[in-house]
Amino acid sequence: MGEALLSSKNQKILKDGFWDTNPITFQILGICSALAVTTQLKAAIVMSLGLTFVTAGSNVVISLIRNFIPPQIRIIVQLTVVSALVISIDQLLRAYMFDVSKQLSVFVGLIITNCIVMGRLEAFAMGNPPWKSFLDGLANGAGYSAVLIMIGIIREIFGSGTLLGFHVIPASFYAAGYVNNGMMVLAPGAFFLLGIIVWIQRSISGYKES
Amino acid sequence: MNTSSTRYTFIFAVIVCVVSAVMLSVFSEGLRPQKELNEELDVKKNILKAVALKEPLAPKMKGGDVLEVYDSKIEELVIDKEGHVVAGKTPKQLTGKDKDLYPLYIYKEDGRVMAYAFPIVGQGLWSTLYGYLAVEADATTIRGATFYKHGETPGLGGEIEKEWFQNNFKGKTIYSVKEHKLTPVVVVKGKAADVVSKDELSHHVDGITAATLTGKGVTELIDRWVRVYDAYLSKLRKI
Repeated sequence: MGEALLSSKNQKILKDGFWDTNPITFQILGICSALAVTTQLKAAIVMSLGLTFVTAGSNVVISLIRNFIPPQIRIIVQLTVVSALVISIDQLLRAYMFDVSKQLSVFVGLIITNCIVMGRLEAFAMGNPPWKSFLDGLANGAGYSAVLIMIGIIREIFGSGTLLGFHVIPASFYAAGYVNNGMMVLAPGAFFLLGIIVWIQRSISGYKES
Repeated sequence: MNTSSTRYTFIFAVIVCVVSAVMLSVFSEGLRPQKELNEELDVKKNILKAVALKEPLAPKMKGGDVLEVYDSKIEELVIDKEGHVVAGKTPKQLTGKDKDLYPLYIYKEDGRVMAYAFPIVGQGLWSTLYGYLAVEADATTIRGATFYKHGETPGLGGEIEKEWFQNNFKGKTIYSVKEHKLTPVVVVKGKAADVVSKDELSHHVDGITAATLTGKGVTELIDRWVRVYDAYLSKLRKI
């Protein structure tokens, strides 16, 4: 490798995935899970970790075999690699970290179908070496995580009055007539929040419609 | 190398399939004993949770210790459709073929019956829900309920696995002494206290916000299993 592990080019990959081409706010990918698993912060965190791990891992695998994949069947090969990776991890968790696997429950399936994983494989790993692909997966995972966790925090506080399961809105508020916002628990609440986050992020990063 | 040729594509596809299939089989088979052990332990933990032990299990208790508590406190039985105990059968021997045979778990403390527990299984919104329901020795009052396996949306229907939801069931009654009829617990939409009259609170519990259909599933499966086990439980009621 003639290039430093974190050369300026590689730093740009990290910055792109996290900020300039953030998978949610710029590419508008992974919206389904951003809506579904953000009613509580804990679920959002677990999903974020899972997705980051899988995106980075499958990016490396696909990047390693990128020159051998026949172009006509590349999508199905990518999907097979992602599924095999995710299911193997799920099996290991079930055997050795049973409690964690119970918490993950349906997330595992959701990760396989997450558009960001396939998006990064197709857009990046198919044309770049493994280390760069790994960084790209990591950065996109982090970008996704940041948005998910933000939405998770807001929804849990205003929808259920808790954060990570602990009550954060004092009982006196409720006594004074405060009620939890029911819309925050439902998908439309997440849609509004997501819209606002996309708006803010794009204003700062200077996004231009092409 | 021409990666676009039909021959190459075909061979590549076969290799990918074989490699992933072998990998997954090895994982699945190699880890099977460990997974089954975990699942069995999980089921036993949940039975112990449903019957609300006098001395609850320590949170970080080792698997072996949990099994020891289980073996010393829980008696396993199998009953038939009429509610008779089937001698010489244990829940472990039941297979899918055993129609009209049901496992029953009796929690005893110093030889005295404290609770009867039985599995409750049924459809939620997206998935099958698995849990246990335990009634007190009076065969009427619910001592505890658990849901330990499901595929509902976390944060919505998935809330059924949380303490607050399961605690709702404690002290509710599945039988009305006044009217002499079964009153399996109903999960309402919203808060039970706002929806039903005071007399009916004894068999209604709070629903989960934004998970009405999961609640409906819970109502249905409790109804179904309470009726099945009533064949046995009704004989225990002293009325």
